[in-house]
Amino acid sequence: MSRSFVPRRSVLRGALGAGALAAAAGPLAACAPGSSGSEPRKLTGTPSASAKGEITIWNRSGDLFKVFDAAIDAFRKAYPDVKVNHQAVDIDAKLANTLISGTDLPDGSFWDDAKIGGQVEHLYDLTDLIAPYRDKTSAYKLSVNTVGGRIYGVPWDLDPGLLWYREDLLEDAGVDPAGLKTYDDLLAAARSLREKNPKARPLHMEKDPFLGQLWLEMLAGQQGTSLADADGQVRLDSKEYRNILNWVRDAVDDDLVTHTEYLKQADLAALENGQQALVPWAVWWSFAPQQLLKKGKGKWRAAPLPAWTPGGARSGAMGGSSFIIPAKAKNPELAWLLYEFLCFKEPGYSAVYGPSEVYPGGLTTSVPSYGPARRPDKPLFEPVAALGGQDLWKVAVDAADTIPSAAPIPAWWAKSVDYLGNNLQRLIEGKMAPDDVIDDSTKKIQRNLVDRA
Amino acid sequence: MTSGTLTPPRKERAAPDAPRPTRSRRKPFLAPYLFVAPFYIVFAAFGLYPLVFALQLSFTDWKGAGRANFIGLENYTYLLTSEEFWSSLGNSAVMWLLIVPLQIVGGLAAAVLLANARLRLRGMFRVAFIAPFVTPLVAMAQVWIVAFDTDYGLVNHLFNLVGLPDIDWLQSTVWAKPTLALLFLWKTTGFAIIILLAGLQAVPGDVYEAADLDGASRKRQFWSLTLPLVRRSIAFLVVVQTLAVFQMFAEPFVVTQGGPYGSTTTGGLYLYNHILASDLGTGAANSFLLVLLVFALSLLSVRLLRSRDE
Repeated sequence: MSRSFVPRRSVLRGALGAGALAAAAGPLAACAPGSSGSEPRKLTGTPSASAKGEITIWNRSGDLFKVFDAAIDAFRKAYPDVKVNHQAVDIDAKLANTLISGTDLPDGSFWDDAKIGGQVEHLYDLTDLIAPYRDKTSAYKLSVNTVGGRIYGVPWDLDPGLLWYREDLLEDAGVDPAGLKTYDDLLAAARSLREKNPKARPLHMEKDPFLGQLWLEMLAGQQGTSLADADGQVRLDSKEYRNILNWVRDAVDDDLVTHTEYLKQADLAALENGQQALVPWAVWWSFAPQQLLKKGKGKWRAAPLPAWTPGGARSGAMGGSSFIIPAKAKNPELAWLLYEFLCFKEPGYSAVYGPSEVYPGGLTTSVPSYGPARRPDKPLFEPVAALGGQDLWKVAVDAADTIPSAAPIPAWWAKSVDYLGNNLQRLIEGKMAPDDVIDDSTKKIQRNLVDRA
Repeated sequence: MTSGTLTPPRKERAAPDAPRPTRSRRKPFLAPYLFVAPFYIVFAAFGLYPLVFALQLSFTDWKGAGRANFIGLENYTYLLTSEEFWSSLGNSAVMWLLIVPLQIVGGLAAAVLLANARLRLRGMFRVAFIAPFVTPLVAMAQVWIVAFDTDYGLVNHLFNLVGLPDIDWLQSTVWAKPTLALLFLWKTTGFAIIILLAGLQAVPGDVYEAADLDGASRKRQFWSLTLPLVRRSIAFLVVVQTLAVFQMFAEPFVVTQGGPYGSTTTGGLYLYNHILASDLGTGAANSFLLVLLVFALSLLSVRLLRSRDE
């Protein structure tokens, strides 16, 4: 049998050729990462009522998707020639990559405020379209959607922080909830509760680093500051953050804290058995008494947060979302038409927040960002039976009105949890001092995130 | 190995009246290239190209969008001076110490037992050891989360039954690594047993018969025969598991997300975090540093093996 041999030298030559080919392909590939920076596109024209066409809108799955589905039905009735493909998508996993790649984009999507600032070059500039509604929209929501003076998200939900408390336990301890006007009052109330029940650790402090940092930002936002300023520079080293961290340390030193993860089993147990009675948290905590707490159902109430200084703001925002329109959307005008309907038109926002098949009493986990939709005398959702029939709407919208404006949330915010979020946990565990939290977090955020942004 | 005589192929001269070779016979060298071309094309597209691309990316500040600016060695110097980078390698090293020695010793003991033909229910034991290896990791990671929950987990419940206190398995910097290491051991020891069992079964029986005739005890036979003869299998396992431990990702990603305080952020998870933050340049640099480290460790293992052979 005869065999033909390929000489060793030829093989090497071939391999080198292949290597050279690949090396040559490299620079070509390097052109793939956007060889030129794209300028944000402006959306200025509004379509008429006789608008026609088809749009794809992304939303999160779950109950909220069903609520929006019903609201989009109301839009279809108002604009029968616009076909809306409402899709449930894992937005956190998919949207950023889709915006970057520019393929299979939706015409619009729901998105966390914290993520918008980092992707503005892939989004439509909506400043001109929002202009007629600007004065009546929450200053906080506008500020977190503004980058370089331009607005890139249509402000949707506003999530005011409230003080959730067990009315029965406060009454037993002789604490008047109306008297909880400052954070010092809150500490005093916690001490009274513990005097009444030595096992009580009345104040909730969050064990999950991400939620803990979100909570910290709510308390900072209440004082008109945030982790980064408008230029994206860290401003943790401030009187406002020291106020919060010193207050946390005092609560920990006095053994007033239940340190658990948000609505996990240990947290629920401490809420049910009376160990926890004071939870400063966003309006979306209303979900707990309505769906998770059994023994405590009907005993919890909501009040505005205490102020950091007498007469100061009684709330800060904790989380929140907006709508964005990708710069490469096929029908951006129609997407805007939908968002305008949902956010700024009465039939739209009523369909979302009002009673629905999913939430018969209405959606109580946030309030609208748009002022006229947030009137105390025109509640969109009903009093909550699980809160003893309390008019949560009034408490929430009154608190929302006091939230100061902030700065855009930097693209690196979520990553800063590795530093600030973790150090906050160390503080709550008594392993770090407030000044060390500030110094260490500032240094690491600056080096690892700001300098490399 | 059987021995025999190897006769070099005899060169036969072409008969003078043989027919002249046709054009295709004169130039047969194209055919082999055509046959191997599919492999090289696929390798170039999905192996070499991404590798070269990633290497190039590691010298840029590309964030997944916009222009990729050349920044020289900045990503490498950033990583090499980063506390978190070294901490992630340290976490992986501790994991290695918790996993690999225990797995080799335990796996070898189990393999020796399973290789014993007199063992009852041998088939059942084999299935029991292999089952975790074929169980989806994410499903088992969820079981781990529930079983090791501080307040409601089965493990602490059992501890309480015998009078031991609760342990923060997944939320303390002391216990999180051993708890994850246990998951890794549970998941991959079946694989180690397969490899070691194959190594043991390749040892000829007459070696042990000869040792028996010489009066060697079982213990002596294990240390002087079994262990040296499965040394190659052990070395293979050390290399493979070293690679796996330093690239470990799914276990910390699902169970602890790298916490508490980064104490379970392994080399693989730290690399992923850069990608997640769209810091692709740093991610690429990190991957090459990991490749170098793993390559060095593998080389060390291979060298140790070779020196023993010689």
